[in-house]
Amino acid sequence: MSNRRARNNGANRGTGGIRGPHSALTDFLAANNISAAQIRDSYLQRVQQAEQQGGQEGDEAAPDNGEGSSNQVPTAEEQEAEENAVAEAVERSRKRKRNQEDAIAKVKKGKQDKKKAAAKKKRDSDDEDLDEDYDDALGNMYKKSKPLPGQLENCEICSKRFTVTPYSKTGPEGGLVCTPCGKELAKESKATEKANKPAVRKTRRKLESNRLDGIATHGAKSLQQLCIEKIVQHHQDVEEFGELPDSIINRLCEIFSKKRVLTPQTLKLFLRADLKTVAIHECAYLECEDYEHIFAFVPHIEKLALRNCCQFKDRCVEYMLEKAPRLKHIQLYAANLVTNDVWIKTFSVLGKQLETLKLEWLDAAFDDDAVAAMVGYCPNMSRLKFKRCRQLGIAAIDAIAHLTNLQHLSLQISQEVAGERIVNLIGNVGANLQTLSLERFLDAGDDVLDAIHDQCRSLSKLRFTENDYATDAAFAALFTGWANPPLCFIDVNSNRDIDNGNPEGPEEVIGLGDAGFVAMMEHSGSKLHTLDIASCRHISFATFSTVFDGKKKYPCLEELNVSFCTTVDTIVVAGIFKSCPKLKKLVAFSCFGIEDIIVPAGIVLIGVPKAQDAIEQFGEWGVDVNMALGKMVHVVA
Amino acid sequence: MALNDEGQTNYVTLVSSDGFEFKILRSAACIAPTIKNMLNPATGWQEARENRCIFKDINGIVLEKICEYLYYNEKYENCKDIPDLDIPPELCLELVMAADYLQGMASRRRLAKELVLSAMQFDRLTRFLNTLDLTC
Repeated sequence: MSNRRARNNGANRGTGGIRGPHSALTDFLAANNISAAQIRDSYLQRVQQAEQQGGQEGDEAAPDNGEGSSNQVPTAEEQEAEENAVAEAVERSRKRKRNQEDAIAKVKKGKQDKKKAAAKKKRDSDDEDLDEDYDDALGNMYKKSKPLPGQLENCEICSKRFTVTPYSKTGPEGGLVCTPCGKELAKESKATEKANKPAVRKTRRKLESNRLDGIATHGAKSLQQLCIEKIVQHHQDVEEFGELPDSIINRLCEIFSKKRVLTPQTLKLFLRADLKTVAIHECAYLECEDYEHIFAFVPHIEKLALRNCCQFKDRCVEYMLEKAPRLKHIQLYAANLVTNDVWIKTFSVLGKQLETLKLEWLDAAFDDDAVAAMVGYCPNMSRLKFKRCRQLGIAAIDAIAHLTNLQHLSLQISQEVAGERIVNLIGNVGANLQTLSLERFLDAGDDVLDAIHDQCRSLSKLRFTENDYATDAAFAALFTGWANPPLCFIDVNSNRDIDNGNPEGPEEVIGLGDAGFVAMMEHSGSKLHTLDIASCRHISFATFSTVFDGKKKYPCLEELNVSFCTTVDTIVVAGIFKSCPKLKKLVAFSCFGIEDIIVPAGIVLIGVPKAQDAIEQFGEWGVDVNMALGKMVHVVA
Repeated sequence: MALNDEGQTNYVTLVSSDGFEFKILRSAACIAPTIKNMLNPATGWQEARENRCIFKDINGIVLEKICEYLYYNEKYENCKDIPDLDIPPELCLELVMAADYLQGMASRRRLAKELVLSAMQFDRLTRFLNTLDLTC
């Protein structure tokens, strides 16, 4: 035995026939009639058998199947019939194996205990060596004889007995594990995989999102941004924001809204007695009591902005009128539960102090009478915005015409409004207007543009969209010799003729065409910051290339939308990049002439499928531009 | 101490309210506009002369994180798909205030660099377009 062991572990054992005292384990094994020699012999025998069997019978289970066992009985008997000698060995080995396994379990357990109590125990070193030696031999043997499918085995993790299948998983130490433990293992490995993977996917997703938001990201995020994101992640644990500056509070509120975590609980974080502005951009989770909290906690509130405030009811308005005496600016989106009478009461109470009213998405209430009451009670109104208020009509327009202090006016009326009502409106209030936004006034024609030309002297922001009535000549006239200083914001999207039978449009161009566009850029190009000419499809290639010829400069232009202007192509875009040194965002959906463009760093090009790779690129610009030049020349040729 | 081309030390010292000192690269420290101003020799402030900024409202833990961020920002300048800096939740509020004091950290410098790059690209495009005009 010792010889064999010496052979086995010859390198570190040179004990020959001399042996130290027996360990408890050796004694135990001997008492149970187990000897390492026997085990080893039977093991070798079994390995040989298994090899033979494997060769002869393929899938057939090995004959040394531990516990004879119910499911394997026929196989075992067959083999016994075939090979008697082997069968005897099998019979013996069964019993031995059972004992052996018990022993192994005990050894393992003993080992664990030993490790735990290692410090306390003082053992004969030789004895310990022997022990380990023996253990190693067992371990090696055990490893080599990986049970074949169909055999029984002890699970490496939970030590339960189970039947080995081809699907049995290997445990962390190389042994087999039972099905439940295997599932656990699979779960864990999946979890770790998941933990590793999404980082990549998330940034990819985030990248697309940022691109569409027009945020080109290079380099690290600002520390503030990182902190704010983290705060939103842990919004439930935040008790109060303390002395954070208003700008950060507002930013936090925006992101809370965006992430839909602005609940009655988190709302309290944004309410402080010293605030003058409360702007909640997503109120879907807030109810009556929460709105009342706003006015109870922030008594000096001057500006209130609530979006999607579906539960903002009459009761809340009355509470507001009672508790917030200094309110000047009101912005409510989708406050459909406030009735007409209460609107009128609001105007009568707030009266002259009310300066701003912005309402959107009102279907159920707020009609022409309410507007008339507002005009009557609130002469100091300077900023007005009504969009998608279904009940408003011509009477409302005529009433607004009496508000001569207006500086900012945005209207989108669902009902039909004749052009002359608008002309009348502009004639009355146009002189002081800084912002004029007229969306989707289908019947507004050349006379409206003429009125703007004649009346407006201080406009800086103009929106006139979704119209197929005003002509190119009128646009040209508007911007030619206009006494108004250059505009910084122009949105004239979707001003074009719509006639499927005549896609080229009538001879006299409807909507913003060549003459209008040239005049517009002549007039406002020096100050223009944002320009939207989407769907103005009668602007020709020649006009685009003269307006953006690379020599004329538009020093302030940062955002440009030329979607659905199908004449825009690679040359025009190159010219745009050259003519607009401050450009940050170029939107060009459906401009199929744009190919192989190289986007300079700091600019986002949206909507050109072939340019997607280019959007992300930055750094190493020299090489890229050279390559791009080659490509672009090729395309042009 | 080693000096750079402009005769300034390569490292500067940031001192927290509770007396912790962090010696970090000047290039990293100057990512924060406020620190850059403090260290600007043209101002002749004590901070610029001694290369030492004392922050009376920022404690050691927060300042350590700020230094970490400054190096993080410098390391990942002009990279994409950057892993977020790990910020312990309990530090967020203090850190966001400190960041506000240090003026949003970094975003400005990044913008400036981008503009320079794009201006150079415009030049190349200009030349390209000029060649086009000739050939057409």
